[in-house]
Order: sequence, then C-alpha cells, then structure tokens
Amino acid sequence: MRRRSSLPVTFLAPTLAILLVLSMVPTLYAIVIALQNRELSTPAYSWVWFSNFADLFLDRRFLNAVWVSVKWEVVTVVATMVLAIGLGVLMFEVASPRLRNVYCLLFIIPVLLPRVSAAFVWKFAYHPLYGIATYPYRLITGGMIFDPLSKASTALFAVASVDVWQWGLFFAVIVLKLLETLPPQPIEAARLDHAKRWQIHAYVTLPMLKAPLISLMFVKMIESLRSFDLIYVMTRGGPGVATETLDMYAFSQGFIESGKVSYASAMAVLMMIATVITFTFLWKRVQA
Amino acid sequence: MRPYPIRLGRLIAKAILALAGFLAVFPLVWTALNALKNNVDIITRVPRLVFTPTLANISYILGRDSVLTGLYNSVVACGSAVLIGVALGLPAAYAVARYPNRFAGDIQFFVLSLRFLPPVAVAIPLMVIWLQVGLYDTLPALIVTYSLLTISVIMWLAIPSFQGVPREIEEAAFVDGYGAYSVFWRIALPVAARSLAGAIAFSFVLVWNEFLIALMLSSSNAKTLPIVASELSQQGMNVPWGILNASVVLLSLPPLLFLGVLSGFLNSVFRQKKS
Repeated sequence: MRRRSSLPVTFLAPTLAILLVLSMVPTLYAIVIALQNRELSTPAYSWVWFSNFADLFLDRRFLNAVWVSVKWEVVTVVATMVLAIGLGVLMFEVASPRLRNVYCLLFIIPVLLPRVSAAFVWKFAYHPLYGIATYPYRLITGGMIFDPLSKASTALFAVASVDVWQWGLFFAVIVLKLLETLPPQPIEAARLDHAKRWQIHAYVTLPMLKAPLISLMFVKMIESLRSFDLIYVMTRGGPGVATETLDMYAFSQGFIESGKVSYASAMAVLMMIATVITFTFLWKRVQA
Repeated sequence: MRPYPIRLGRLIAKAILALAGFLAVFPLVWTALNALKNNVDIITRVPRLVFTPTLANISYILGRDSVLTGLYNSVVACGSAVLIGVALGLPAAYAVARYPNRFAGDIQFFVLSLRFLPPVAVAIPLMVIWLQVGLYDTLPALIVTYSLLTISVIMWLAIPSFQGVPREIEEAAFVDGYGAYSVFWRIALPVAARSLAGAIAFSFVLVWNEFLIALMLSSSNAKTLPIVASELSQQGMNVPWGILNASVVLLSLPPLLFLGVLSGFLNSVFRQKKS
C-alpha cells in the first residue's frame, strides 16, 4: 500500500533531464558538424550538407575500415563466446567448489585492467625479440623471429586475442554462475539415460541457458565496439591499414593526419546510426 | 564402464583450466616483475626470472610531474563523476524499481542505449563544444562528460539491486508511518548497500579505464593517467621498458583494488537469480 507520493517525479525528472541533455547535445551536434566542413586549423566553416557522406563512400580507406570493424566484431564476439562457454563448462564439470572460487577470481582480473594496460602488457609479450609470448617460438625455431603485430595477416588476431583474454575469461565466470543456477533434475535425468557429459551440455544445459547466453553475446557485441584503446596502443591501425577500425580511422582523420573534424564526424554519425539501429532491433528481439 | 578414458578426459580438462588460470594472471605478473628490473634484464632474448631487483623505475615514475598530475586528474575526474553518478543515478534507479509506470521499460532502454553510442561520436562534438565554451582541456569538462557514463551505468545496475530488496520490509515501514523518502533513505539504501557498492565500484573502474574521451578532451592540463601512460611509450627509439612497465602497474592497481567487491557483486547478482 503505497500512498501517492512525489518521489518518482523528484527522483527521476532531474536525472533523466540531465541524461537527455548530456546525450542529445553531443549527438545532435555531431550531425551538425558532419554537415559542415570544419577543420581543426581554422575556425571558419560553411555548410556542405551531405558531401562528407558522399565522399566517404568513395573513400577506399573508409570502406577498408568498415570491413576491418566487421571482422573485429565477428572475431572477438565469436571467440569470446566459445572460450567462455568452453571454460565455463569445464569449471562446472571438473573443478571443486573451492577451486571454482579461485578460478573465478583469477578470470575476473584481466577484464578489470584498463585497456591501455592490457594493451601494453601484451605489446611487450608479443615483442619479437624480448617478448614472453614469442619466446616459445624463438626457443623451438632456434631464434627465428615472429612479429605478430607487424604482419598484416596476424595483426588483427593478435590484438583481438587481448580483447578475448579480457572478456572471454570474464564471461567464463558468468557462464559457470549461470550453470550453477540450473535445477539439477534435468541433468540427472540425462545422466540416467546414459548421455555423455558433452551431450548433456550440448542438448540440455546450454539450450536451457539460451536466453541469458544471447543477452551475454549482446553485451559483448556492444563492448566490442570499443576497440579503440587496444588498437591505438598496440598497432595504431597498422601495419598499413590492416587493423584500422572505424573509430581509429575517424580519430586519425580528425586529429592525427589532417584535422578534418567534419569528415571524422560524418564517419562517427554513420557508425552511430548503424549501431543504434542494429542494437535497438536486436534488443527488441532479445526482449521478445 | 570405461573409467580409463573418462579419467584421462578429466585430467585434460583440469590441465586446460590450470593453463587458462595461468594465462589469466601470468602476463600481469610478468609486467610487475619487469617493473622491478633494470633495462639489461628486460632486453634479453631468453626471459630472465632471476635478477637483481631495482626500485629505480618505480621511483622514477612516482617522481615525474606528468605522472603525478595524471594521477591527480584521474582521481578527481573519476571521483567527482562517480559522486555525481551516485547522487543522480541511485534515486532514479529506485524510482524505476519501486514506482513502475508505463515508461519504465522505455527509460531502461534509453539508459542502456547510451552505451551503444560510439565514443568517437560523442567525443568529436564535445571537443568542439568545449573549445567554444572555453572549457576544453579542463577537469570540469571531463567530469561532466564522464557523468553521462557514471549516471547511466549506476542507474542500470542499481535497478535490479533495489528490486532485490524484499518488498515486505518497505511495506512494514510504510505501515509504521514512514514517508516515501525516509523509506528510501532508511530502508532501501541500507538494505541494498552491498550490491549498490558493487555497481558504484563498477562505474569507477569504467571511467578510470576510459581512454578515448580523455584523449580527445585533453591536450596538456587535464590528461588522465591512461593518457600519460600511453605517452611514455613514445619517448624516441630507446624505449624505457622498465619505466613503461612500472607505469602500467601503477595504472592497473586501482581497478584491482575493487576485485573483491566486484566478485562479491557478481555472486549476489546470481544468487538473486537463483532464488
């Protein structure tokens, strides 16, 4: 029995108003800038309407960045989910409760690190001469050099491995906790039917967890959009443009190479439209 | 029936898990060790486990003005943004959790959708705006921008925490004559405190780790620690590896302090789900 109270209004209105202002002002302004031809070097500008957008579709580096971003998204999301489900199931099967707690604590550590730190840690580790991660290769081949970050074919995967190191291990903990919330009866029943361990998970437990696993994947898809820190520190988009994602390219157009703020903003606006449409659609489907 | 292959399977599974646990922390431990090494002990083709430790890197880092300024900026910017997030996010979350109206779903979706916005799309216009207002490269600009992150994240995570407070306690307080506000202050907040602490810690880690916005909104005065650390690596050809490792360790320590709180938060979220 709750009396009518002013609480919902006084508690919600200011916060929502501030959130709306803080999010809508930059968003609308991003669109305004994208329709102009601002550059960092001069304060003068004029309206060019959609010519930035038209230029983008003729810009091969932009199209490359779209492709790299899509690859990044697919590689990191798939690898994270596979690793998380694999390790989560393994912990559920063979680790004692005490050991589970230890693993859970260890697996949360990488995701807490600032991405800049994680990127540096692995940049050293991947160093061709002194890196700890390339050491086994040097040892086996007798001192041959393997430089994953400066080869176009491996650079994206090397950077993606850091992302998966952070999120895959963390999600493994969540998968384990999800498995622990399941009722034991269906698993027992499957066991009585002589189902093998992997069959129990493939046909019983994981299908039961379909909804939360899809939500988890949704979260990872959103977080994968934030690839900038890792790429900026580890490769700066290189070698060439092999790891140049959209945000990296927008940043270098806007700030490093030419100071074309409007052009960068047009790119950011396209990203924003694409992600908002995609994720709104997915979210409605997840909720349904 | 076939005990042998099963036992072998379990052994392999345990080995994989142990390897994963090792890989989770070893790179970080190695970085911490490198922070204690002289450059000669780092630049070796065969990694050195035995070396004479030195505190030179750490004292160099802690003695540099740029690092100390970065640390100060990070603490002030993140601390203030989290406080603002708490002051505005917690009450709003409570209102959504306890006074459901027909917009509750839309409000939750709006708050989540702020997370979809690409950081570049927010940072570019904000840079232009702050330049025009004359607040570019200042802490207030960074604090306001970060508040958008902290308010939305705290609100998003606190809604389930408040929903987890047993309704009966609140109803009983109403019967005892408490008003809506004192129920929030005296009942809901203290009862939900532990899982709220997790939400707040999470928002702190999020802004502490933030890089892109800080990079675009600061040029010299308002640089946060991640920016300073990333710049140390660009000191010419002769990379001071030890110093770089020490700065990575310094940058990573604050989030790791919250390890306990955050893993407790995770546990409480899933215990709720189970019941």
